[in-house]
Amino acid sequence: MNLLHHIKRKRAKQKRKQPIRRNVFNQICSLVIEYDLKESFLGDLDNVEDDLPGENLNFNRVKLKTPLESSLFSLATKDEYSLTMSIIGKVNNAYLKFANSPEEILLCGPLYRLNPALTNQKLMRYHFQTLLLHERAKANREI
Amino acid sequence: MWQLLNSDMEILVESDFIYLPLLFDPAIENEVQNLLRQGRPMKNPGHPQSKTIITHQDRQFVKALSIHSVLENYEVINAYDYNHLRKEFLRKYQLTREVDGILLDDTLKTILFQVMPYFIRKNRGLRRKKLSDEEILDLIGAKIDIPEKYYKEAKTFRHVEPLKAILKGLESQKPTFNPPGNGLLSTHQLRDWFHEAVHAKISAREHDRLTRALQIRLQFSQAKPEHAALLLYIADTGSLEIDGFGFTRKSAYKVEYFVYKRIGEYTLKDYYARSYLFPDCRVALSTYTPFRPFVMEKYKHPFLLRHKSGQEICMKHFAPPNEFTAENAIRILEEGLTALRYGYDARRRNGYHSLDRTWVHIPTIDFEEYRI
Repeated sequence: MNLLHHIKRKRAKQKRKQPIRRNVFNQICSLVIEYDLKESFLGDLDNVEDDLPGENLNFNRVKLKTPLESSLFSLATKDEYSLTMSIIGKVNNAYLKFANSPEEILLCGPLYRLNPALTNQKLMRYHFQTLLLHERAKANREI
Repeated sequence: MWQLLNSDMEILVESDFIYLPLLFDPAIENEVQNLLRQGRPMKNPGHPQSKTIITHQDRQFVKALSIHSVLENYEVINAYDYNHLRKEFLRKYQLTREVDGILLDDTLKTILFQVMPYFIRKNRGLRRKKLSDEEILDLIGAKIDIPEKYYKEAKTFRHVEPLKAILKGLESQKPTFNPPGNGLLSTHQLRDWFHEAVHAKISAREHDRLTRALQIRLQFSQAKPEHAALLLYIADTGSLEIDGFGFTRKSAYKVEYFVYKRIGEYTLKDYYARSYLFPDCRVALSTYTPFRPFVMEKYKHPFLLRHKSGQEICMKHFAPPNEFTAENAIRILEEGLTALRYGYDARRRNGYHSLDRTWVHIPTIDFEEYRI
């Protein structure tokens, strides 16, 4: 490939429309604004492991994913921004951008620890509680 | 803007600018961090560089709107609210009539005293002389019937004392407003201040208008009562027609007019020398751009593209002028009239359509009904 072709390809690539990618800040910030989350939510995030139900989970309690219309570009006040950044810093995993409700933010950590290789399709489609139940059932079966 | 003033947030006013609480996302935070890291003074209100973002009581505010600019352009930004405030003000001081403003209008003066004399029959017999403004008014007065109420109004209009009293009252109650002080303000405080400022602005503007109106009325007090009645009639109705020449005020823009001249019936000949009798129509010109002649009625002609109203006349070498003057208006109307009457060439079949039917399979306008 000569230089001319190289430059042309590079420019064509730059011109191509880039799809807007799912952004963890926008998603979490939208949730913080939508559900009016406060600093106390960070405490809930710390205690999530203790509050999780153990072996007695049953499959009748399958939840549906809550639809959320997150804005393309979120802007937050200083308090909302610091809370959003604290949540992102605390959870810090790849599943967080698929959370559609505060409950899913809480379940994000345990789910990631059980199976860090879930596909994006699954994360977008199913509630994290459903996925968590599924992963636990799978682990129990293997034992 | 209005949504902002109706919200319940705290805003900062600094050096005649409204600063809004800064909203964050990671990119904005980075930018703010960079600004802080470079050691730019953020808290120094007098410094030009500090004005984009101000830190006040650990909160950051970003420069948003110039108070003076908003106030200056409030009429455009929130036309509905401005008109509402203005109406309230006018009602308060009983100033709802705007006849004075229309009488001051230069466009109307040009049409009345410069364009109209060109098109109407001024003198009887072979006498030709230029008429003065007063003679023109006499001539118009002789040709149209003015309702009695305008004569009564003219009498009161010539009395300048009530207007002087209103003006004096306005001066004594002139509201004064000071720019808001620097510091944190709630939105309702700013909203109240805005209302006061707009009120004061309207007051100043009305004061100017009344001063000019008073000057006009003082001039009128020396004029004949019939002339005053005639001008009041024109200002009120906004239209007049004499000897086929006339003008009418545009409904959307009150200071703009359509000036027109009736063409009368005329005949054109087609390729086979058959005559077509065309009905009367008004060839008009708008006092607002574009300065091109057009036909006001629903009309068809070889020089008009379709059969509908308000069509521009097709003229090949016509260069429209850039401004509305008496000479330009006369020239444009004359050219429009000439084009319709004499522009069509039967041999060349110029224009959009041909008078006689041609065997071209393109749907076109038909003139058979005009044939005589």
